[in-house]
Amino acid sequence: MPTRAAIRNPFARVSIRRSIYLATAEKRAELKATDASLIDRIVQRDESALAALYDRYAGMLSSVLNRILRDTQAAEEILQDIFYQLWRNAAQFDSSRGSLSGWLLVIARNRAISRLRRHNPASGDELSENTVVVASNLESSVAQQQLMAKVKSALDNLPQEQRAAIELAYFEGLTHSEIAQRTGDPLGTVKTRLRSAVETLKRDLHS
Amino acid sequence: MSSEHPTRPEDFDLYALGALDDAERQAFESHVASCADCAEKLASARGRTAILAFAAPPVAPSPGVKETLMRQVIASAEGPGGSVARIKPEPVADGGIFARWWAALLPVATAFALATVLLWLHNEQLNRQLANLRATIQQQQQELAETRHQADLIAARETLVVPLWSQKGAPDAHGEGHARVLYNAKEGMMTYDGWLPSAPADKSYQLWLVPMNGAPISAGVFNPQNGEMSHMMMKFPAGVTAKAFAVSLEPAGGVPQPTGPMVLVGPIS
Repeated sequence: MPTRAAIRNPFARVSIRRSIYLATAEKRAELKATDASLIDRIVQRDESALAALYDRYAGMLSSVLNRILRDTQAAEEILQDIFYQLWRNAAQFDSSRGSLSGWLLVIARNRAISRLRRHNPASGDELSENTVVVASNLESSVAQQQLMAKVKSALDNLPQEQRAAIELAYFEGLTHSEIAQRTGDPLGTVKTRLRSAVETLKRDLHS
Repeated sequence: MSSEHPTRPEDFDLYALGALDDAERQAFESHVASCADCAEKLASARGRTAILAFAAPPVAPSPGVKETLMRQVIASAEGPGGSVARIKPEPVADGGIFARWWAALLPVATAFALATVLLWLHNEQLNRQLANLRATIQQQQQELAETRHQADLIAARETLVVPLWSQKGAPDAHGEGHARVLYNAKEGMMTYDGWLPSAPADKSYQLWLVPMNGAPISAGVFNPQNGEMSHMMMKFPAGVTAKAFAVSLEPAGGVPQPTGPMVLVGPIS
């Protein structure tokens, strides 16, 4: 916010405008930067690159963490942990083998389910162990919103039982047997529902 | 299954989903660990499954998470060996914003505090100067009032101007003392202006009004310095008729009635 002195001083006004322009330009550059280039900058200990990745993916991760845990504080602890791990171990991440957005989603889900089921937290080797290939480029918020609409539409098109089975598996981390136990349905029925749901989603989302 | 590929493509997605029970999962993992082709398929299946996260209702993290993360990152970069204890996220969403604002405003607040102290000190100095000026003005007003009284006294028809002169044999060393008294009986006002040498250390000069009837009335005690004029202004009960004015040398501090020698005398003719 310009000071009174700055408002009166045309040179100060120019300086403020230049600062705003430079800040905006920097923000634009970070929005355009690829995940891979930001990872490279994190390896060089560029904190602004981590901040840019956080801005890009924190909302996406926060949503799934809160959906699984239904506990804002626990979700935010895991969210911070994930990005801090990325800061410390970015050099282990190989962008050519998989996508960062996919890795973040997998790690967030795994950690949330571990917390939910009181399992031991995952180790710091997740970066190199879990290779995740996401067909969609999720580096822009527009792409994320488009994919969100697509996923919701695909799930809405599933039969209710299949959708419920998928959500129990994905958001609660239940296996076939656990879903059967939870719903009271036969194990074979649950397996069939899940397999059918997976086939349908694969067709609808990736065709 | 460890030596066989998964029989169905969906097995990769079901594994990524975490739906396989223990026995199936272990067999799947055993095979994928040694099969690059299946590992690649699993990576794609993980991606397909991961995007199911977008079915979750959008929940934005509180701003404090990023602020805490960045503090943790900076601390780890600056700390010994680059490792620090984990900083807990702020439970209150807006705490980080207040902290950041506070950090930004701290220099401004310090400047304000310093300016306030300086202004307070300056104000105190001005107050002292103002008090001195008021005292000076009060003194000057008093002097002005006395001067006006004296002028009024001189201008009044009923005011007597009585010169006082040294007496022969008086303790006036050089016989050079003299004075003048203005007396207005109606107003009960009197002024004295005179020159006398300094009184001895244990003595004081004392001015007397000698009424027509009765004992002398003390009009003041003074100790002039050499060469300086003594000036006094006195108020008497109105209507006292004087027949003379006199200055006597008395014990230091004065006496109720004259006891010492008369130094100056001024009879009213």
